[in-house]
Amino acid sequence: MPELTYREAVRDALSQALRQDEDVFLMGEDIGEMGGSMGVTHGLLDEFGPERVRNTPISEMALAGAAIGAAMQGMRPVAEIMYEDFMTLASEQIVNQAAKARYMSGGQLTVPVVFRTQGGAGWSPGAQHAQQLESWFVHVPGLKVVFASTPEDVRGLLWSAIYDDNPIVFFEHRTLYGIKGHVPEEIEPIPLGKARVHREGEDVTVVATGRLVHEALHAAEEAEKEGVSVEVVDPRTLQPLDEETLVASVRKTNRAVVAHEAVTRMGFGAEVASVLQYQAFDWLDAPIERVGARFAPLPFAPVMEAFVVPHMEDVLAAVYRTVNKKI
Amino acid sequence: MATEVILPRLGQGMEAGTIVRWLKSEGEQVEKGEPLFELDTDKVTQEVEAEASGVLLRIAVAAGEVPVGETVAFIGEAGEDVPAADARVEAERGAAASAEKPAAAPARDPERDRGREASVGADAQGQSAFSAAISNGRIKASPLARRIARERGVDLASLRGTGPDGRIVAEDVERAGPAGPAPAAAPAQAVPVAAGEIERRPLSNVRKTIARRLTQAWTVPAFMLTVQIDMSRANALVGGQRELHPDVRITVTDLLTKVCAQALMRHREMNVQFTDEELLVFPSADVGIAVAAPAGLVVPVVRGAERLSVAEIAAVRTDLVGRARDGKLRAEDLDGGTFTISNLGMYDVDQFVAVLNPPQASILAVGATRETVVPRGGELEVVPLMSVTLTCDHRAVDGATGAEFLKSVKAFLEDPGLAL
Repeated sequence: MPELTYREAVRDALSQALRQDEDVFLMGEDIGEMGGSMGVTHGLLDEFGPERVRNTPISEMALAGAAIGAAMQGMRPVAEIMYEDFMTLASEQIVNQAAKARYMSGGQLTVPVVFRTQGGAGWSPGAQHAQQLESWFVHVPGLKVVFASTPEDVRGLLWSAIYDDNPIVFFEHRTLYGIKGHVPEEIEPIPLGKARVHREGEDVTVVATGRLVHEALHAAEEAEKEGVSVEVVDPRTLQPLDEETLVASVRKTNRAVVAHEAVTRMGFGAEVASVLQYQAFDWLDAPIERVGARFAPLPFAPVMEAFVVPHMEDVLAAVYRTVNKKI
Repeated sequence: MATEVILPRLGQGMEAGTIVRWLKSEGEQVEKGEPLFELDTDKVTQEVEAEASGVLLRIAVAAGEVPVGETVAFIGEAGEDVPAADARVEAERGAAASAEKPAAAPARDPERDRGREASVGADAQGQSAFSAAISNGRIKASPLARRIARERGVDLASLRGTGPDGRIVAEDVERAGPAGPAPAAAPAQAVPVAAGEIERRPLSNVRKTIARRLTQAWTVPAFMLTVQIDMSRANALVGGQRELHPDVRITVTDLLTKVCAQALMRHREMNVQFTDEELLVFPSADVGIAVAAPAGLVVPVVRGAERLSVAEIAAVRTDLVGRARDGKLRAEDLDGGTFTISNLGMYDVDQFVAVLNPPQASILAVGATRETVVPRGGELEVVPLMSVTLTCDHRAVDGATGAEFLKSVKAFLEDPGLAL
């Protein structure tokens, strides 16, 4: 199996789709010669030309609207929104247009568009370039929301996203672009709405997304040394949510921790906790713990940034709370 | 976040304590370090200090026995939300009220608090005194624990929770195993007492401890040795010491403490405790002094008495006895002790035999000093004689050893210079 970085895995899905399908094209700020601010689309302009790898003006609303319009006309555009923070500018088009068109047209229109975007702390980007806003979009009926955490997942999920007939917000994490992982020779589409059990365990289930999947896996290793067996599950698709897998895991372990980098309050984890308590109520042996960022704009200073966002230690502490273990 | 006030462990082996009364009321401002409530352990009643400053938001357990580590109150900011009051608060308030009127019925309404009633049953089975997890009339248990209990027919009220804040978790239910037949309904219910009939007083922790330890002492093979001691010079010495140290009230007991400590150091084989495996020989004489406190007999300890002057011993004893009478002894005042002196001379008792104070190996029972006519060298002299009786644990100490020790005590009192 070839080994790709997360960044290469995204690029591989894009280039294979561009190669195989005339309907697929890319839009975004600086995605051409520059290869995108994160270098994801590097080299694609050379191979596919400016018609299919389109640099746009610096207007997220305009490029989102154009992508949505193209999708309504039968194309499968993949628009890159440089930072998740800028999704706020595109959200009128995404929330009010893309998410609604299929319903309001009585199914006459479909909007098979993907909005790729990235965010996340860990490199001192400050308050306006690292937010984790996935909960804004999981709250909107009509959108599907994906957040991949490994090279294999990001490639397989992006493929499925491109070929899904619904508008999709596809989150990538800035600090994961460099991680390496084995991927299948051929792209294997990963169905949207299917969670991945990264590690099986007996005592506590950690439901984690994005960077926190890796923090949770690290915490699981630490907990194992203390005799606590942790199962790590990544929903991968936040909307629709694979409730079945999450609930089954918690019914097995009887305890749950929900972890993401986004602020805890009103976060995606709150919904997961609600799903779990409702469907696994009689299986819960401890309150569901939540791990996330403190309720504060992300500070620029690295020390303060590290203080605000969650790390392995926070997941581990939450795991121990569920088993009432004092460390 | 309100700070939970946790029932502290005041000494080794302490598993539970009985809250006697709160020294602060709900809503009152409390400063860190201020006495918060009185706690009765099997050894002592002690004031427990607040570990945080703030408003005493809620008293979760107003009175009654509580396991170590359980939340008994919350301190925080005024108006802050805290978990609902413990159902036992009301129950115990009722109990406390009835305890103040001993002639009234100590019986409780059986319907009043199922959790409490269940705990009586648990007590009878020798289990923990009550379920720690009863909160606001509802038992605190995880959903999983509830389901397992439901499936197995286990009564949650009979369980002690080991989860956070005493929550019953699945493991607690599984440990309990399948339910046996339901315990017979509250046979322990006390019957209301009409005037003129027997009054039934619940045993205090101190009383229970006295009963347990002295019963244990009775199983020890013991022997007793009695001597009469001429107290002429000892009394003169006490008088002289009083003149030297007008600020402390020096008594014969202080001199006795000093003399016994010196004798214990000379006869180290007396300063011992017997265990099944070995004999413990102690390096210093920690002399316990039996005090008739209002709640019952207590024996605070004067540590390292061999190194203290008589006046220093008097100062320590005055403090200990004073606090014993006020019920303010701390667990550490009572821990240890390698020997005990029990003096009933002030009650005009001529002579008596003291029961061992386990695990100590010996105890000296001191009677009153009497002017006695004694033949000396063909003459009759009037001498102040004091009778003392030494009780020894024969497993640890032989008769001759005890006799030699007693001989030293006698010699030191009759000629205090020998003790130097």
